Amino acid sequence: MGRLLPSGLPESIADHEDLARILRSSSHFSASGVKAAAFMPAKDGRTSVIRHGSEPRHSLWSVGAQVLGTPVRHGAAICGTSAIRRERLDVLADEPPLRHANIVGWPTNADAELQKAQQKELALAIAAKSTLVRLDE
Amino acid sequence: MSGAAGYAMVLYLSARANTAMSKEACALRESASAIVCSAERSLALFGPKVSLISDIYDLASESQNDLELTVPREAIERAVLFIRTLPDDLPLPEIAIEPGGSISFDWISSRTRVFSLSLGSTNRLAFAWIDGTDRGHAVAGFDGAIPPRIIEGIREITNGQTPAVRLA
Repeated sequence: MGRLLPSGLPESIADHEDLARILRSSSHFSASGVKAAAFMPAKDGRTSVIRHGSEPRHSLWSVGAQVLGTPVRHGAAICGTSAIRRERLDVLADEPPLRHANIVGWPTNADAELQKAQQKELALAIAAKSTLVRLDE
Repeated sequence: MSGAAGYAMVLYLSARANTAMSKEACALRESASAIVCSAERSLALFGPKVSLISDIYDLASESQNDLELTVPREAIERAVLFIRTLPDDLPLPEIAIEPGGSISFDWISSRTRVFSLSLGSTNRLAFAWIDGTDRGHAVAGFDGAIPPRIIEGIREITNGQTPAVRLA
């Protein structure tokens, strides 16, 4: 087993681990489920996630709030690490905060719009394999 | 006078029944009736689009305290123009705010049948789609007219869905 992080989790993230993307906007989900926009990377080229499944729910919201720095307002999108890696992206641990990780390896391109289109295709595929967990469920 | 107050006045005039009206009053009433017909026809045609445009302003307002999701004014203006330009026989999309402040338009038939495009501060549209195992991405210009390849892509994903209604 590799190095353990302050959270007690191994530094290396296993394919079978669940990841939660905390939803920061009411526009990132609908009755249809999670939208691609929820997974699009920030300007630093990373998508922040936490190493947590849909249960226990109180722990999910608590860890989510620590990562966000504010209470979770909407919910989370849960997806497997394997679904991310299938898109030739990777997930790397990034503590603190505890259990925090980043989806990295998003396509880059000198053409900003083409880069966004490439990233959007991957985000669509990830969103399709994600499960929506609403805060009010 | 505000638009709403003006419309209320026109409604009042068009509905007022008075047998002792002067010729001018009759003409005024006929004009008011014509305005009401026109306004109601516009509402029927453009109501869903107006509602979607209103949602964009609401979301932009909701996101203004989140640095990552702040929407620039140019992106809002471009998004409004895009909605106005959408053919009336296409279903209206869902909208989302992306990191960086672009506005995403999503036509979602199911989890694995989605057409999504982004509008930001430039006149170029980044778009991508998944349709079962088929998927792809591209970029197209937007100068006030929506490129045919985008309209075709939306039609393929939304085939058979009712126009002028919001998906999901």
